[in-house]
Amino acid sequence: MHEHLRNRLREERARLGLTQADLATLAQVSRKTINTVENGVFIPSTVLALRLARVLGTSVESLFQIPE
Amino acid sequence: MPSNSSVETADRLSRKRAWLAAAAAVLFAVNQTISRPAFVSGPDTAHSAKVTMWALTAVVLLAILATGGGLFHRSGVRSLINDEVSTLNRRTAVAIGFWVAMAIAMGLYFVPEVGSLSARQAAYLIVTGSTVIALLAFSYLEVRAHRDA
Repeated sequence: MHEHLRNRLREERARLGLTQADLATLAQVSRKTINTVENGVFIPSTVLALRLARVLGTSVESLFQIPE
Repeated sequence: MPSNSSVETADRLSRKRAWLAAAAAVLFAVNQTISRPAFVSGPDTAHSAKVTMWALTAVVLLAILATGGGLFHRSGVRSLINDEVSTLNRRTAVAIGFWVAMAIAMGLYFVPEVGSLSARQAAYLIVTGSTVIALLAFSYLEVRAHRDA
């Protein structure tokens, strides 16, 4: 997980019963992108973060947090 | 919106590209180690062919690094193959290639044993070395991105 950014993407995806491929399709990105965001390898752009939040029915702030 | 099959197709092609990039880099390196057209002279026609092949291969490999390839696939699949993560990985690989090129160039400049190299030979070493390392870096970053997916 990236030390400067935590995310709840995996939890939110699981809450909705979506696979990585399902979420990738809905967010119009590759499964690799979903995987790397979930694993904290990749920090998404603002556009992608907003798109993921919209698809998951949540806010960017609840999806991504900067550790205190 | 891309279909689920587009995502699966892009995923499969992206994995394939990552391994092909590594294979292409290794083949290029091995081929150049054996043929070394900038250092071995021979019959004019055969030698020119080797030099031309080296230049063409390098251009093709650099074009793959620059564009991400996938030019023969539908635009939807192509944009999924070359999405944010791949673009970042390509940029990182190109940056690594740049620093390798600088390191080779500095090495060639300062190491006295290689002082007798011609400009062509130096350019050959810089282009070959940096292209191979950049491709290997891209392959590694892509394979890592696919891990656990």
